[in-house]
Amino acid sequence: MAFPLLLPAASRPQLLLEITTLPADSPISQLSSWLGPNDLPYSLPIHPTLVHFTIGLFVIAIAFDIAGALYPIEKRVFRFLALPITRAGFHDVGWYNLLACAVVSFFTVAAGFFEMLLAVPIPGVTSTIGLQSMETMLLHGVGGVAILLAIIAMTVWRGYQRFLWRRDMGRQVQWLYLLVGLGLFLVIGLHGTLGAELAGEFGVHITADQLLATGADLRNALP
Amino acid sequence: MQQLLPPLNDHNLPWMDTLHPIVVHFVIAMAVISVVFDLIGVVLRRPNLFEVSFWNLLFATAAIFVAIIFGQVEAGLADPYGASRSILNLHSTLGWSLAGILSLLTGWRYVLRNRDPESLPLPFLAAGGVLALLVAVQVTLGNQLIWVYGLHTVPVVAAGRAGLI
Repeated sequence: MAFPLLLPAASRPQLLLEITTLPADSPISQLSSWLGPNDLPYSLPIHPTLVHFTIGLFVIAIAFDIAGALYPIEKRVFRFLALPITRAGFHDVGWYNLLACAVVSFFTVAAGFFEMLLAVPIPGVTSTIGLQSMETMLLHGVGGVAILLAIIAMTVWRGYQRFLWRRDMGRQVQWLYLLVGLGLFLVIGLHGTLGAELAGEFGVHITADQLLATGADLRNALP
Repeated sequence: MQQLLPPLNDHNLPWMDTLHPIVVHFVIAMAVISVVFDLIGVVLRRPNLFEVSFWNLLFATAAIFVAIIFGQVEAGLADPYGASRSILNLHSTLGWSLAGILSLLTGWRYVLRNRDPESLPLPFLAAGGVLALLVAVQVTLGNQLIWVYGLHTVPVVAAGRAGLI
């Protein structure tokens, strides 16, 4: 069965269209007196800053485990560069960066859900990849939890390799682990695109975009 | 000559979306985690964390030059207005300064690591603290350009093209 929100508007069940208007006494309105023009109780959203850490740490963790796995090939290059390296050092980066990624990502997802609860996307917009705002938010929300789970699973898998299965081996990671890591780069890239579209196209939590949507003149409203 | 350049989209960019905020993942996360691992390494006496810090610092330094290249192109294509003009100037100045600071710290760290990879002098730790602080300021400035002024977002680009800002 197709996911109803991903169907073209005309073929969607009518009920879904009728419930899109929030009732005035929606509990979220209890926060309204705290909120600024960006629909947040503070001026700069927290989730996008934490995302730098989730993505950066994950990508570099996998990259350095790849460097550790390919150590026999690249060691001559580093000797030529007079840059002393150890294989264990590369794998240490792979492990500790991933561990830090796992810790920080809980906060990334938590902040993301709080801020998505308060999101007011600009109505009537279709994103570059052809989705509407609620579809984008649903996919970004569900995807965020799925990626958090994947990061935790990767961290546990990495821990087993480091401390049990491969503790006496030079190459601390299985090739399959690196392959799954590279696959997750793609998933995270796509997921990040959805998040970027929520900001850059739907104007979520962007003061200037929200002011423009209310018809304000930025020359006065945002001097 | 003009026709050889790729056309600009509704973000006023020749590519799908801003690339600078993606590249800076690797500057922000790697620079800050390098300082954090140095601190943990000193406090818990875990010298193998110094090696993790060194590689993260080296990577942050490599990444900041890529970040500056995309940052300059995208700043040039942004149409800053009001107070965002001076924020963008400050962000550019601090960005180039951070490239210098990161390069210096990485050079210093390379020498320290060659002499004794198992220890870290306190002045380097202090310099790391300053680095983390400057990165935090730089992230705040960049965040303001996006989240307050919406540079390169579709509504602001459209308003700019219509002469409304």
